[in-house]
Amino acid sequence: MSKARLIAVVDDDESVRESLPDLLREFGYAAEPFASAREFLASDRLAETDCLILDVAMPEMSGPDLQRELKRLGLAIPIIFITAHAAERVRPAVLAQGAVELLSKPFSQTALLDALGAAFLEG
Amino acid sequence: METAFDRVIDLLPGLVWTALADGQADFVNRRWCEYTGLSFDQARGRGWQAAVHPDDRARLVEGWLGFIQSGCSGELEARLRRHDGEYRWFLFRVCPIPDASGEIVKWGGINTDIEDRKQAEKALRALERRARMIVDGLPAMITLMTPEGELGNANQYVLEFFGETIEVLKSRPVGFSFHPDDRAEGLARWRHSVQTGHPYDHEARLRRADGVYRWFHTIGFPLRDDDGRILVWYLLQTDIDDRRQSEDKLRRSEAFLAEAQRVSATGSFSWIFATNEIVWSEQIYRMFGLDPDEPVSLERIASRVHPDDVPLFEDMIARARRHESGLEYEHRLVMPDGSIKHLHLIAHGVPDQHGQMEYIGAVQDVTDRRHSEEALGALRSEIAHMARITSLGALTASIAHEVNQPLSGIITNANTCLKMLAADPPNVAGAQETARRTVRDGNRAADVISRLRALFGKKDIALEPVDLNEAVREVIALAWSDLQRGRVVVRSELAWDLPQIMGDRVQLQQVILNLLLNAADAMKDVEDRSRRVLIRTRPEDGDCVGLCVQDVGVGFDAKAAEKLFEAFYTSKGDGMGIGLSVSRSIIENHGGRLWATLNEGPGATFSFCIPVRPGDGPGAPGPGADGAMAANAPPRLGAGS
Repeated sequence: MSKARLIAVVDDDESVRESLPDLLREFGYAAEPFASAREFLASDRLAETDCLILDVAMPEMSGPDLQRELKRLGLAIPIIFITAHAAERVRPAVLAQGAVELLSKPFSQTALLDALGAAFLEG
Repeated sequence: METAFDRVIDLLPGLVWTALADGQADFVNRRWCEYTGLSFDQARGRGWQAAVHPDDRARLVEGWLGFIQSGCSGELEARLRRHDGEYRWFLFRVCPIPDASGEIVKWGGINTDIEDRKQAEKALRALERRARMIVDGLPAMITLMTPEGELGNANQYVLEFFGETIEVLKSRPVGFSFHPDDRAEGLARWRHSVQTGHPYDHEARLRRADGVYRWFHTIGFPLRDDDGRILVWYLLQTDIDDRRQSEDKLRRSEAFLAEAQRVSATGSFSWIFATNEIVWSEQIYRMFGLDPDEPVSLERIASRVHPDDVPLFEDMIARARRHESGLEYEHRLVMPDGSIKHLHLIAHGVPDQHGQMEYIGAVQDVTDRRHSEEALGALRSEIAHMARITSLGALTASIAHEVNQPLSGIITNANTCLKMLAADPPNVAGAQETARRTVRDGNRAADVISRLRALFGKKDIALEPVDLNEAVREVIALAWSDLQRGRVVVRSELAWDLPQIMGDRVQLQQVILNLLLNAADAMKDVEDRSRRVLIRTRPEDGDCVGLCVQDVGVGFDAKAAEKLFEAFYTSKGDGMGIGLSVSRSIIENHGGRLWATLNEGPGATFSFCIPVRPGDGPGAPGPGADGAMAANAPPRLGAGS
């Protein structure tokens, strides 16, 4: 059996970091939370990450900032953005940059699984 | 023997005589004898000389002998004694009478009475002498010029001024004394007068004996004889140098004033009310764009006044009619090109010597100032509007974020929980953990909501005496630019006897601003009627004050009247639906009520009613109403919990 795919969850909100990896693990993925973009970039899991679930609005380095940084580093990790703010304004920009999906918090389990399906289909 | 020829000679209207070649008289006619009273025998030879005036006799005889010697005809004048002893002047005309061979054999003569002419000449001489005396005696410079335009004579004042004798002056060319700058024109005018006979009238500088040029006003008029021929030109020269200098000074100060008025865009005027005499400075003509050559009248002024300001203009006239001493107005003009000018007028009335009210005043073009004020007002209003929009927008966004975060956690945890329980075997410990997190996030969401309620329903309000009328005026001023842009006309009917209330001025103004802008929004698609808003304040029963904002907009669905005040209910595509709910909570915190009604005609009316003393409210609910405002209670209002 192949090794479970690793999904990194980058969000400054603690409840997301607590809840989302648990749910992802229930679906058979490996999941690891990061409290900031910098923490993720500095981690040794960067190269192993198969998919990134990324909060848009974070202090210091935002989600789209990280998206640009990864591109610059040549890391083509599929990204699913999540946000508690109005999604309409950022959606076109992040999708244009190659994001798989942008989910508005709160999002349903179905929406999450659909987005992951799309991410791994592409990936 | 008397021949027919002799009879004719005798009857000729003159004294006729003949003499021999040696001058001895050999004939005098009857008229000669009748005039002198001498007989022919007495006159014969040299006898006629007895009739000649003794003073003239020697001269006449000498002349007569001269003619005889030269053999030429000639004329002489002398007085002849009449038969009654009176001497009269006669013209003696004589001519030689030659025979066939050309030798003078006789002399013939005729004497004509020229006494009348002599008298006239004498009278004229006397007249001229008198005129000369007058000319010399007048304390003015008088110069006589010949019909050809040359200097004839000048009185002593002229000679004194130029410091020369008449001979020296005559030797100079005409126009010699003119200032070089004035000479060409002066001479041209003089030549024109000499040629046409038109009077001469000119101002020019003349050089005085000491070399100083002084301004003179010269009037020249011709003296003509009965045939209309010019005999002499009289020039009257008046020294106007002092007058000219003060005129120059006046002109200079007028020029300074005009420049000052131009720079400051200010004009001055005078207005005698009773006679409607209006005098404007140049600058006012420029402001009004009217022709300075046409007289100013109230009608001409009124034709430029902005139609909306005509009542102001009429009020000014009414006040002038009542002789009020101070007038001050700001009104607009509509120029022919449609542009608008703002004028500020200040006038002060003083009764003149006839007791008529004369207003002296100044008008300033304040268009630029008004434009910058308007721009500033627009900016201020823009900022206020932006602040309102952005604060509501930001509030909504932050509400959404604050609520969405825990909701997200709740849903994710619930999903995880379900998944764990559905597993075989169920992961009960994990499910418990996620369920605990769900509860925690639920509480967190509830916290957000209660914080929001605290925010909206601010428990403490700053109590101060508030003049609601004043608050309304400020809000109208604040919203003015928005309302102008939306072509909304605001009318206010503010009760003069409105009592002050105790409340939070800023919050109440937020409510009024909200109602006013809502009214404007409700009319933004109205095109078939003017977009009017009426703001009215009035004292209400039970020690309350009321305010209503009435529009002619689209109104609202009668069934939704109460929903209007629910948070997040909105009929506007771009609205947040928070304004009215916040407004209602503010009014309720003041112990008042806010409600909406549909008008009989188009539009809606939003009204609130607030007790003058907090706690006395018509609908004041909650703890604040019962005793919290007792004597020494702190100035604090309890909101309905």
